[in-house]
Amino acid sequence: MSIQTKPLHSVGVHMKRKEDPRFIQGKGHYIDDLSFPGMLYLSLVRSTYPHAEITNIDISEAMKVPGVKAVITGKDLEAAGLGWLPTFHGFDKQMVLAIGKVLFQYQEVAAVFAETRAAAVDGAEAVQVDYAPLPVVADPFASKTDKTLLRPDRESKTNHIFHWEVGDKEGTARAMASSPKRIKQRLWFQRCHPAPLEPCGCVAYFDTMGRLQFHVTSQAPHVYRTALSLVTGIPEDKIHVMSPDLGGGFGNKVPVYPGYVCAIVGALKIGRPVKWIETRTENLTSTGFARDYHMDVEIGATADGKVTALHVATTADHGAFDAAADPSKYPAGIFGIVTGSYSFPVAHAEVDAYFTNKAPGGIAYRCSFRVTEASYAIERGMDILADELGMDAVELRKKNFIRKDQFPYPSALGFTYDSGDYHKTLDVALEKIGYTGLLKEQAEKRARGELMGIGFSTFTEVVGAGPSKHFDILGIKMFDSAEIRIHPTGAGIVRTGTKSQGQGHETTWAQIVAEELGLDPQTIMVEEGDTDTAPYGLGTYASRSTPVAGAAITMAARRIREKARKIAAHLLEVGEGDVEWIDYKFQVKGVPAKTVTMKEVAFAAYTNMAQNEPGLEATYYYDPPNMTYPNGAYVAVVDIDRETGETKVRRFVAVDDCGVVINPMIVEGQIHGGLTEGFAMAFIQEIQYDAQGNNLNTNFTDYLVPTSLETPHWETGNTVTPSPHHPMGAKGVGESPNVGSPAAFVNAVIDALSPLGVRHLDMPLTRDKVWRAIRDAEVKKKA
Amino acid sequence: MNLQYTGEEKIPAGLDTVWAFVTDAEKVGHCFPEVVDVTVQDPTHFEAVVKVGVGPVRGKFKMKVELLPASSKRRIDMKISGGGFGSAVDLTSGADLVDAGDGTTLLKWSGQAEARGPVAAVGGRVLDAQAQKLIAQAFGNVRQHLTV
Repeated sequence: MSIQTKPLHSVGVHMKRKEDPRFIQGKGHYIDDLSFPGMLYLSLVRSTYPHAEITNIDISEAMKVPGVKAVITGKDLEAAGLGWLPTFHGFDKQMVLAIGKVLFQYQEVAAVFAETRAAAVDGAEAVQVDYAPLPVVADPFASKTDKTLLRPDRESKTNHIFHWEVGDKEGTARAMASSPKRIKQRLWFQRCHPAPLEPCGCVAYFDTMGRLQFHVTSQAPHVYRTALSLVTGIPEDKIHVMSPDLGGGFGNKVPVYPGYVCAIVGALKIGRPVKWIETRTENLTSTGFARDYHMDVEIGATADGKVTALHVATTADHGAFDAAADPSKYPAGIFGIVTGSYSFPVAHAEVDAYFTNKAPGGIAYRCSFRVTEASYAIERGMDILADELGMDAVELRKKNFIRKDQFPYPSALGFTYDSGDYHKTLDVALEKIGYTGLLKEQAEKRARGELMGIGFSTFTEVVGAGPSKHFDILGIKMFDSAEIRIHPTGAGIVRTGTKSQGQGHETTWAQIVAEELGLDPQTIMVEEGDTDTAPYGLGTYASRSTPVAGAAITMAARRIREKARKIAAHLLEVGEGDVEWIDYKFQVKGVPAKTVTMKEVAFAAYTNMAQNEPGLEATYYYDPPNMTYPNGAYVAVVDIDRETGETKVRRFVAVDDCGVVINPMIVEGQIHGGLTEGFAMAFIQEIQYDAQGNNLNTNFTDYLVPTSLETPHWETGNTVTPSPHHPMGAKGVGESPNVGSPAAFVNAVIDALSPLGVRHLDMPLTRDKVWRAIRDAEVKKKA
Repeated sequence: MNLQYTGEEKIPAGLDTVWAFVTDAEKVGHCFPEVVDVTVQDPTHFEAVVKVGVGPVRGKFKMKVELLPASSKRRIDMKISGGGFGSAVDLTSGADLVDAGDGTTLLKWSGQAEARGPVAAVGGRVLDAQAQKLIAQAFGNVRQHLTV
């Protein structure tokens, strides 16, 4: 029997992140670290009005500011044919700089280029813009009336952007009408912002060959290159996009923003490099926000708790432009996952989107295109149903889970779930949290009038966009790619079309190559984000890196292995058919003593390849046959102070099933981060607008990011149900905790408040909101 | 956000003196709290640069002011608009001049402000109190200037 020679750091191993030494030493290489001779700085003049006609822009004072080189306005861009920018799914366009009127507060109005950052800001301050205010529509429900038409530039003279629906409308209505039990609740997933610690920015210049060198904080560099070529008319070979280290992205760095276009125009016009770095306020007020879905959830059930029908009608606030970065055929993203982990015989989901005088967006914030909204809707809905039925939330879930033997499961809304074992995953979570003991404790506390809640979320995600028959962005199919080169010494380089923003690709990709080729992951370099060298790919968002690019790496590595087999046969002096790959090396069939390692084969590929083609490299473009369906069972336990409304998350258990785990440490880190974001949305975060259209959360004193002081302690666990169609069985995990956790927190708080008769509160569950709910309930009780 | 304020100042000077003061752009301009510079364009228009500090928002605002004296010489209205560092305010303010009969004049004032940008975001927490204080201070300064 041969001895297992699994390399030290292959799949399933806690390998320390290769990128971390440079990050923890402050040696990361970010956009703002770049500097070029003669570089100018760009500052944008932004609208103070949410809706107003621009009656005049006077740049004369700005041009007098020492150091200011140029000022451009929307009219200048319009004259050059660059006034508008297509949004990513291609159904709308966005003003680069305001033309004629402004549609949201902080909209880009003019661009000032200057020798220093300070001079650019002073110059922007000196631009005089005269506005004639117009009526403000700060609410999607007010937008529905079309009393004020926000976008007369569009052919269709209405604020209604689209109606989208999926499922069996009549069948659902019939099933709902005949259901003995029904619940209906409006749930608002409030407007949030991904708020990456590094805001967006770029440096643009044209080199001596007239080629655009564009360094930018992009999660999708190749798509940027194509989009820039289409918008500007610059041939694609004359555009070089480079994304260096990114300080977080979370979907915020998918869209192309006006500042990027202005920087390129300035570089072209002035003939010098231009740097643009957003301020925190600019990031929070003008770049892609997330969520803002008002969802009317209706569930029908039998008297004993078997679900019969689901209907969700959503009013979506998309802001001033329809800049939701969704795949072309999915204006409401993959909201159809709203049936969740449950076996609904029939369902119908619809979304109506409206323009308002707010910042554009609706991007997938650590979420596979509206999956977070959908998961929240169904997981809150199931709890409300449990309350209505007087049934335990766990019992109701277990009764309605898609069973293990039902996979591949065709959902009522058209998805084919690949795999899962929901009962097992939930049981692991129940065991870990000690559910029976908690129920006993809760009963005792309730008897004493104390508020303790237990909340569940047993979600199913749909990630890894996506199969080319369904998914594209601007027409480009959502495949991804990998290129692997193995050097003579057995070291190598992997390049992919994805772009890490902190996910740890430099480690994970190297581990996949180690697993497939038996090489040392420490000597496998990973390079991403350079469109001159990386194969074409659609980028990193929607948890698609491992499901799509990870699969491409696996397949490319297997191609290398096939070529290496020929060379191995030559080295082992046998026919190719007599060589097998076993225990991470080539071996003559049945002769365990006769082996050759991949490292030896690599050397031979350059020095002793016989009749074989020299070299050892391969490229693979992977078009996934299906999406992957990671899932999880989350449990939150909260205690609420009756006097102050303060909620303490005492425990939180997250059991995830993301299929085969490549690096458990990285997965755990991803889950910790996502849970912290879910906690933030559930309790403290909201981008609010007042009735006049003022953004009220313009900085980190108003838009709160939890620190280690507020963040609960996370307990994690996992089950492994491999994806049957992914070459490694992996499903992706980056977004599960952000998608799954908000409902667990809210369900726990509502469970705590349920003895007072509270059935629902919208996020964020701030202390004052909870306190008011307690007080109102007590007043009502006395009356 | 919209903010509304009212108040009253008793000024130890006669109606005509007060009227002459409140219709003099240069003099009114220098009653603005934290004023740095006043540039008079014509008898009813001037620009004032004032220092502003509301919560984390600090810097200089450039304000355009228009005086609208009523022909009755009993009321003066003011339209103020301007801003800075990405924030803006529109203020309308008015004062009725009432002869108190004892050689003094009552300045009964009211004002409303609309703020936009980061200044508005600071919102109810500090802006409201701050704006009230500034407006009150401005009319208080009129009294001080006329108190011999």
